[in-house]
Amino acid sequence: MLAALQFSSIGEFFQMGGYAFNVWTVYVLFLLFFFVNLYFPLIRKKQIIRELKRRLILRNEVPANKHD
Amino acid sequence: MWQWFFKLGSPKWFYELSGKWLPWLVAAMSLLLVIGITWALLFVPPDYQQGNTIRIMYIHVPFASISLAFFPLMAVAGTITLVWRMKLADMVAKTAAPLGAWFTALALISGSIWGSDIWGTWWIWDGRLTSMLLQFFLLVGVISLRSALEDTDAAAKACAVLSIVGCINVFVIKYSVDWWNTLHQPSSPIGMAGDSANGPEIWVPLVIMIVAVYLFFAVSLILSTRNEILQRERRSKWVQELLASA
Repeated sequence: MLAALQFSSIGEFFQMGGYAFNVWTVYVLFLLFFFVNLYFPLIRKKQIIRELKRRLILRNEVPANKHD
Repeated sequence: MWQWFFKLGSPKWFYELSGKWLPWLVAAMSLLLVIGITWALLFVPPDYQQGNTIRIMYIHVPFASISLAFFPLMAVAGTITLVWRMKLADMVAKTAAPLGAWFTALALISGSIWGSDIWGTWWIWDGRLTSMLLQFFLLVGVISLRSALEDTDAAAKACAVLSIVGCINVFVIKYSVDWWNTLHQPSSPIGMAGDSANGPEIWVPLVIMIVAVYLFFAVSLILSTRNEILQRERRSKWVQELLASA
């Protein structure tokens, strides 16, 4: 089922039998999309937590100030 | 019997459960992706006509097939929103739309790059390609509709209806290759024997990649849905407690 390695050298692997542009563009686009799509939600989560925490602090402090 | 169903609709329950599942999903996804990509790039034999462009199939086919799942998913979530007013269903529908647009775009772009050499053209108004482009615009339509309506409930209902109607296009995409005999090939039957045209050395890595990309879709959807939950449930007690401990 697992055929043998299809390329005999690194150079041949990068050339992809003359289809280097097509094959590598698709794989690079995929990897780019893959990492961006996982990275952004994680960054966004940090932003949301920071923002909500800030609001929580503000809300807890406002009534305290009123009593002063 | 229905208890689990309504429990599933609880954002808190989903947030806690998905938090436990995420590491496992990410581990399975990473493992399958590494195996799938290595296999597709190094070990799959070149096609007798297409040569090494056959390797594009291992990205194009998973993305194209999974992008068909978005409208049915949004329609099911939309129906749950309309019938049971479940908050979680609408959160899933909201995060699925942009993700679906990206998946569809990548399927279109990878297909175009593949076709540029094999078909000799980047684009043609073929049945499959046109209906797929329509799906992209429909998803952009769902996203714009949601952002255009300020009232969350009204937006949820409108998007639910549009998602249910948009499912028709999924059938058009699915059967387009049989209805219109233009350029895009119909799906190939898989061969079980080692000597068949589409033997296991071709389709086993493809199945691995499809499962890997499905896991990637699940992980992305869960990550964005969790963010949406945090924002919409920010006033609830459990989010406040979560923030206090974070």
